[in-house]
Amino acid sequence: MKTMQAPNQPTWRHWLRGNAFLFILLIGLILFPFIVGALTDSSPFGVPRGDRMIMRGESVRWQSVLIEVYILAILAMSYNLLFGFTGVISFGHALFFGVAGYVLGLMLEFTAIETGWALLLGALAGIAICGVLGLVVGLVTLRLKGVYFAIFTLAVAEMAFIFFGRWQLTRAEDGFAITELPLWLDPSQNRLNFYYVTLIAVVITFLFIRRLVNSPTGAVFKAIRENEDRAQSMGFNTLNYKLLSLTIAGMLAGAAGLLQVILNKKVGPELLGVSYTVDPLLMTIIGGIGTFSGPIIGAGGLHFLDVFLRDAELNLGGLVIDIANIWALLLGIIFILTVIVFPFGIIGTWQRWRARRKPPA
Amino acid sequence: MTPILEVRDIHTFIGQFHILEGVSVSVASGGITVLLGRNGAGKTTTLRSIMGLTPPTRGSIQFEGNPIQGKSTHAIAQMGIGYVPEHRAIFKGLTVRENLILAERKTGDYARKADFIFELFPDLKRLIELPGGNLSGGQQQMLAVARALVPDNRLLLIDEPSEGLAPVIIEQLIAAIQRLADQVSVLLVEQNFRVASKLAQSYVIIEEGHSRVNGAMNELVGDQSLIQRYLGVA
Amino acid sequence: MTGQRASLIAIVVILGGLVGVSALNSSSPGDFGITLLSGLFQGMLLFLVASGLSIVFGLMDVLNLAQGSYFMVGAYVAYDAQHAGGLIDLTAVIPDPNLRFIIAVIAAVLAGALLGYLLERGLLRPLYSRPIFQLVLTFGVSLVALELVKFIWTTTPYSWTELFGVRESFFELFGQRFSTYRLFVVGMGGVLIVTIALLLQRSRIGIIIRAGVEDREMVQALGINVRAVFTLVFTLGCAIAAFGGAIAAPFLGASTTLGNAFLLQSIAVVVLGGMGSYSGTAVGSVLVGLAIAVAQDVAIGTDFAALPSITPMLLLVLVLLLRPSGLFGNSR
Repeated sequence: MKTMQAPNQPTWRHWLRGNAFLFILLIGLILFPFIVGALTDSSPFGVPRGDRMIMRGESVRWQSVLIEVYILAILAMSYNLLFGFTGVISFGHALFFGVAGYVLGLMLEFTAIETGWALLLGALAGIAICGVLGLVVGLVTLRLKGVYFAIFTLAVAEMAFIFFGRWQLTRAEDGFAITELPLWLDPSQNRLNFYYVTLIAVVITFLFIRRLVNSPTGAVFKAIRENEDRAQSMGFNTLNYKLLSLTIAGMLAGAAGLLQVILNKKVGPELLGVSYTVDPLLMTIIGGIGTFSGPIIGAGGLHFLDVFLRDAELNLGGLVIDIANIWALLLGIIFILTVIVFPFGIIGTWQRWRARRKPPA
Repeated sequence: MTPILEVRDIHTFIGQFHILEGVSVSVASGGITVLLGRNGAGKTTTLRSIMGLTPPTRGSIQFEGNPIQGKSTHAIAQMGIGYVPEHRAIFKGLTVRENLILAERKTGDYARKADFIFELFPDLKRLIELPGGNLSGGQQQMLAVARALVPDNRLLLIDEPSEGLAPVIIEQLIAAIQRLADQVSVLLVEQNFRVASKLAQSYVIIEEGHSRVNGAMNELVGDQSLIQRYLGVA
Repeated sequence: MTGQRASLIAIVVILGGLVGVSALNSSSPGDFGITLLSGLFQGMLLFLVASGLSIVFGLMDVLNLAQGSYFMVGAYVAYDAQHAGGLIDLTAVIPDPNLRFIIAVIAAVLAGALLGYLLERGLLRPLYSRPIFQLVLTFGVSLVALELVKFIWTTTPYSWTELFGVRESFFELFGQRFSTYRLFVVGMGGVLIVTIALLLQRSRIGIIIRAGVEDREMVQALGINVRAVFTLVFTLGCAIAAFGGAIAAPFLGASTTLGNAFLLQSIAVVVLGGMGSYSGTAVGSVLVGLAIAVAQDVAIGTDFAALPSITPMLLLVLVLLLRPSGLFGNSR
C-alpha cells in the first residue's frame, strides 16, 4: 500500500523508519557476543588451547542459547507461514526438520565426498527433499478437508520417527555423531561464525516471508485462511497456493533442521520427535498467529524461559519439584491456556490493543 | 388484536456482511403473513434471525409478548415456534417416523398428532418406514411441514415451500397450509407470487435488507405498480 | 447401491488378503487361530477408542486428538486400583482380585467420564466458533495428559502382576493354548458394538445423534439442546476409551506409549471406515486389528521389526490415497 506522506523521501530512509525497531534489534544481536564478552570478561571466540579453541566462557555459552533461539525461530516462522498465513494446520512439522537433518548427516558421514562439498550438497539435497516431501504430502491430502491433512502429517511424521528410530545404518535410536564439518563452520571451533550464519538465516527467512505474504500470492494465502470457498469462487486454484505454502514451509523447516544438526553435531530420531512439532506450534500461538515477528518473539520467550527455569526448583509446601521434570507439563498448560484465553498471542494482542487506541485516520 | 410475533428493526451480520439493516415484521395471531422480495433481499435471513440461527445484533423480537432475541435456537423453538427451512432439511438417513419422533418436545406428541398429520398428508402414512432420502421432493416438503406440526407450535416459519415442486404438489401443499392455519399462525417466505397471494392475508416486502412496505394482501394484488417496483413480476 | 457393493467387495478383499497371508505364514491351525484371536483382541480395543473418536467427529466436527490419552489414563487407573501401592491401594479393603478388578474397571470408566466431561465443558465449549483451535487444543490436552501421567506414575512401564480368574485361565484348541482373557475382551467388545448400535438405532438419543451428524442446525431448530447432547456424547466416548484401557491393562500393562499408539491406530480405523460412520468404525477396527496381528507374525524373525507399528499408518496413507472417504464414508 502507498502512503501519502513524504513522497520525496528516499525510499531507503522511509524503509528504515518503518523498520527502526527491527533494525536496532538486529544491530544489538550482531554485537551481542561482544557485549556479553565485555560484560563478563570472556572472549566471544572461546579460549585457545594449542591450535584448537575450547568453547568456554559466558559469551560463547550465550551464543549457543541464541543460536538455538534462531533455529527455533526459523522453524516457527515456517510453521506460521503455513498455519498462521494460509490456515493449514500440520501436526507433523518435525518431519521436514528431521528429514533434512538426516539427509545432511548421511551426506557428511556416509559418503566419500570431500567435507565442504558434502556440506553444500547435503544442505541443498536436504532442502530439496523437504520441498518434494511437502509437495507429495500436499498432493495427497490438501484436496481433502483440513482435518485429513492434520491427521496425515501426524501419521507420516510418526512413521518417519519409528523408521529412523529402528534403521540400523543410522544407528537406530542412538543416532550418529557428525565428525566432519568445515572448520570455519564447526560450532565447537568457531561458534561465532556459526552464530552469524544462523542470524543471517533468521533475517533472510523473516524478510522472505514478509515479502511473500505481502505479495499478491500472499494475499491469496490469507484469503484461503479466511474462507477457502470464497477464495476458490474468486477464481483462484487454492490447491496450488496451499501446495506452494506447504512446500516453502517444508523447505524452511528443513533449513532449520540442517542448522540444528550442525549445532549439535549429531543426528538422531529425536529430530523427528513430536517436540519439534509442538515447539513451533506453541511458539507461533504464543507469539501471535499470522504476525511477522510473533514466531520470533515466541521462540525467544519460550527458549529463554526454558533455559532459566531448567535448573530452578519449585517449592510447593515442602514438596520440592525440579522445573526440568515438569517443563513439558508447564509448556502444555501454557499451550492450553493460550489457546483459550490469549488466542492472538503477544504480538497479535499488542497490535489489536494499539489499533483500538489509535484508530486509523 | 395483538400480534403473535413482533419483529422490530433487526440488524443481522453474517461474517462481516451486514445482511439485515432494519427489518420489521409483525405476524397477526391466527393469520398467514408472507415475506416478499427479490433473491438475496434477506427473507431467509429474517427467518433465521427469528430462530436465533443468525442472531441479530440490534433490534427486538417478541413472541407472544416475550422477548426472544439473544436466546439460543433450541430455547426459541421450545417456546412454540416451528421452523421449516428452505430445501426441506429433513434428515435423509432417518425414516419418516424417526423424523417425526425427533420433533417431539414431550413424549407422546407424535402419537397425539399422528391422525391430524396423516389427514393433512395421507402419503406420509404409507412411507412411514422409508428413509427420508428416498422420498420425492414434494413428499420431503410435506414431511418437513408435518415435522413442525408434531409439537404444539403456535407459530410456523416456512421458507419457500413451493420451490422446485410440480404444480399438482403445490396445490396439495397450499391446501394443507390453509388447513393448518386454523390452528397456528404462519410466517411464510414465498417467491411464487400466485402461491403467496392465495395463502397470505398480509405481506411485508423486504428489499436489500430493509423492510419497505407492508399491508393487506388483497390490496397488494390490485397494486400493479408496487408489485412491479419491488418484485419485478407482472 | 453400487457404492455399498464396492465397499463390501473392498472389505472382503482386505479380509481375505489378511487371512490368506496369515494362513500362509502360520505352520498349524493353532498358530493361525492365535493370530486371528490376537487380531480380534487388538481390533476390539481399537474399537473402544475409535467409536468415540468417530461419533464425536461426526456429530461435533471435533477430532479429539486426546482420545488415546483416555485409553492410557484408563489403563493406569485400573492398574493402580488393582495393585498394591500406588495412589489408591485397595488390596486390604477388597482382597478378592476378581472383585477388585471390577472395581478397578469402574474406577477407570468414572475417571475417563469425569475427565471427558471437564474437557468438553471447560475447554472445548468456548471454542466451537474456532474449530481449528479445537484441534490444536485437543492436541495440547494429549500432551498435558501424557506429562501428568509421567508425573504421577513415572515413565517406567508397569506390567500387570496381580492375576485373577479369567486373566489366568487358558483353553486348548488345535493343540495350542489360547488365553481366555483375550476371548473375554473380544466378547466384551462384541457386546459393546451391538449395544451401541442398538442405542443408535432405537433410542431417542440415538436418533438425535444420527440426525445431528446430518444437520446440527436443524436439530437445534426442532428445540433440542445440541450442546447438552455434545457433552453427553463426548463424555461417553471418553468413558468408553478409558474402559478400553482398563480391560487392556491386564494384557498390555500400563505405559506412556499407549496413548499415542492407540490414537494413531484408531485414527487409521476411523479414516478407513469413513469419518463419522459407526458401522465403518466397527468394521475398520477389526480390519486394522487383524492387519496389526498379521504384521506382527510376518515381522517375527525378519528385519522389519517396525512393521506392526507402521502398519496402521501405512493403511491410513493408502486409504487417503485411494478412497479418502473411507469404506462407509459419504463423499462430503
